[in-house]
Amino acid sequence: MIYVIQTLVDAVSVGAVYALSALGIGLLFGVMRLVNFAQGEFVTIGIYTLMLTVGLWFPLAAILTVLVVVLLALLADRLAFKPVRDADPATMLITSFALSYLLQNVLVLIFGARPIGFNIIPELGLPVMIGEIRIPRLNILTICVAVGLLTGIALFLRRTRIGIEMRAAAVDFRMARLLGIKGDRVIAVAFALTGVLSAVVAVLFAAQTGTAAPTYGLQLALVGFVATVIGGMGSLVGAVFGGMIVGVVTVCLQALLPPELRVFREAFVYAVVIAILVLRPDGLFQGVGSRERV
Amino acid sequence: MKKIYAIKAAMLALLLGGGYALADEDVKVGFALALSGFIAPYDDGPYKAAQLAIDDINTKGGLLGKKLIAVASDTKSDVDVGAIAATDVIGKGARVIMVTCDFDFGAPAAIVAQSQNVFAFSSCAADPKFGVQGIGPNAYTLATATLTQGSILAEFAYKQANLKTAYLLTDTSGEYMKSLCASFERRFIELAGEAGIVGKDNFHGLNDTSIAGQISRLKASPKQPEAVMFCGAGSAGASFIRQIRATGIDLPLLAGESMDGAYWLGAVPDLSNFYVLAYGSAFGNDPDAKINDFTTRFTAKFGEQPATSHALTGYSVIEAWALAVERAGTFDTDAVRAELDKLKDEPFLAGKTSFTPEAHINLDRPMLVFNIVNGKHEPIGRFSSEVIPELKF
Repeated sequence: MIYVIQTLVDAVSVGAVYALSALGIGLLFGVMRLVNFAQGEFVTIGIYTLMLTVGLWFPLAAILTVLVVVLLALLADRLAFKPVRDADPATMLITSFALSYLLQNVLVLIFGARPIGFNIIPELGLPVMIGEIRIPRLNILTICVAVGLLTGIALFLRRTRIGIEMRAAAVDFRMARLLGIKGDRVIAVAFALTGVLSAVVAVLFAAQTGTAAPTYGLQLALVGFVATVIGGMGSLVGAVFGGMIVGVVTVCLQALLPPELRVFREAFVYAVVIAILVLRPDGLFQGVGSRERV
Repeated sequence: MKKIYAIKAAMLALLLGGGYALADEDVKVGFALALSGFIAPYDDGPYKAAQLAIDDINTKGGLLGKKLIAVASDTKSDVDVGAIAATDVIGKGARVIMVTCDFDFGAPAAIVAQSQNVFAFSSCAADPKFGVQGIGPNAYTLATATLTQGSILAEFAYKQANLKTAYLLTDTSGEYMKSLCASFERRFIELAGEAGIVGKDNFHGLNDTSIAGQISRLKASPKQPEAVMFCGAGSAGASFIRQIRATGIDLPLLAGESMDGAYWLGAVPDLSNFYVLAYGSAFGNDPDAKINDFTTRFTAKFGEQPATSHALTGYSVIEAWALAVERAGTFDTDAVRAELDKLKDEPFLAGKTSFTPEAHINLDRPMLVFNIVNGKHEPIGRFSSEVIPELKF
C-alpha cells in the first residue's frame, strides 16, 4: 500500500516538471503558432548559468539565471524568429530547430560536451516524511511552482492590458494589429514569459540533477511538445495537464510493467498518447488558437 | 586503351596511397577521432596520451629508426564522417589509425582501415564486436571487455567487499551499460546463487529525467540488498546517483569505468561508499608508480590532468602497435598482425594486455577498483576476474 501511494507521489512529482516544460511551449504556440524546440536550450542555458554562479547567494544566482534566459529569449525573438514571422509555421519550426542546434553547439564549444557536476540547494533533495511516505521537498516546491505559475500566467492573460492584447493577438494577429495592438511588443512579452518559465524549470531541474550537459533541454522540450499536443495546442491548462499525464503514465508504467516489458516503456507511454489523440484529435482541452474560425 | 587507363589508375593509386609513405622517411600514425562535438571529451584523453607515447618513442630514436608523425582528421562526432576522416588520414600515408573510444562511432573509420589493409585501433571501445568478428582482422581495441568488467565487479563485491546480495539498476540506453549489468548478474549468480540478486530495474538515460519510481521500488523491495550495481553513464548517471543518495539510500554502489573520473562528482560532493572500476588512477594516487609518472608527464605537457583513466588506453594503442612492429622488424601489416596476435600479458599502461587471432580485446586483465570516500577517489587495488568470460557473438 505504501508503495502504491509512494508511486503516485513520484508520478505527480515527475509530471509537475513535465507540466512546467509544457507550459512554456504551450504559451508561445498559443500566441504565435510557434512550436519552439529551442525552448529546451533556454532551459539548458539556464542550468549552465546556475553552474557558473554556484557559490553565489542562491536568490541572486536565481535572479541572474532568470535575467540571462529572458535576455536570450528576447534575442532569439529579435534575431531568429522576427525575420520569419510572416513565413508559414513550418519555416518557423525549422528556424527553432536551427536555433536549438546552434545553441547546443555553442555550449559544446564553450563548456565541452562532458557533463559538469555542481551542487545547488542540496537541502531541496532531502525528503519530508509523512508516515512512511517520502516526499522530496523539491517535488513539493515543483508542484507549488507549477500551480503558482499557471495561476499567475492565467491572471496575467486575463487581468493585464498586455495579457488581453496577447489573447487578442492569439485569436487573430492581423485584426489585433489593425486595432492598434503592437505585434512586436506582444510577441516579445510572450518570449520573455517563456524565458521566465524556462529559467524556473532550469532551477528546479538543476537542483534535482546537479549536472549541466549540453543536451539536457532536448528531452524536456520533446516531452513538453508531446504534452502540449495531447493537452490541446494553445491551451495553457491543457499543456499543464498534458505534461502531468505524460509524467504520471511514465512512472505508473515503470511501476506496473513486468521487468521484461519495462525496457519498452516508452512505446507504451506513446501508445497512450496516440490513444488520447485518436479519441480527441484536438487534444484534451481545445485551445482558442487551434479552433477553426469561419 | 582501357589497359592504359588501368595502369595509369594503378600508378596514381600507388602514388597517392602506399607510395606516399614509402617515399617519406617518417612513419605516419593516423587519428580519425572526434576532435569536436559531443563525443570529443571521450577521445580527448586517449588522443593526447597517444601523442605522449609517440613523443616517448621519438625521443628514444623512433620506431625501427623512423620518426613517428601524428596526422589527425576530425570525425566531428558524426558517425558518417568517421569513414571520411579515416580515408583522409590513410590518404596522408597513415600505416595505423586510432579511432573513437566507442564501437558505434569508431567502426565506420575502422571498416575503411580494414578495407585498405591498415590497422584500426580503438582506444577504449569495450564491445567485443570491435575486433575480428565485427570489423575484421585489422581491428583491435585496448579496452577491457565489458564482460570482464562485470565479472570483476561481481567477484570484488562478493569476495572482497563481502556484499552477498545485489540489486541491479540498468541504463537501457546503451549497449555498454546493458552488457555490464548482464555479465555482473551472470557472475554474481555463480557466486551467490539465484537468491543473490534481490531485484532488478532499469531506466533510460536519455529519456528519463527522474528515477523516483525506480528508487521507490528499490526501497519497497521485500529483501533489501547489500549493494546496488549501478550500470549508468554520463550526465544521467551523475544525476541519478544524486537522486539515489538524496533519498537516503546509503547502500554501497558499484559502477563500471563509464563512471570513472571526478568531473561529475560536483553533483554528489560528499559521495561515499561508491566502488568504481578504472584502468588506473587519473589523480596521481595509483598504486602503480608507472601510472602516476604518466599522469605527471601528461599534466606537464597538456596543462591539465587526464579527466579519466581512459587516457591510458590511448597510450597503450601506440605501445601495442610499436611493440609488434619492433618484433616483426617491419611495418608490413600482415607481419605486424602476426606479432599483435601473439601479445601475451604485456605490461602496458592500460593494464596487462593479450591478443589472440580470435580475440582482439582484453578478456583477462586486472582493473583498478576505487572506493569514493567523501568525494575522494581512494584506490583499493587491482582485481582480475577468476573466470575469464567467453567471447560469444
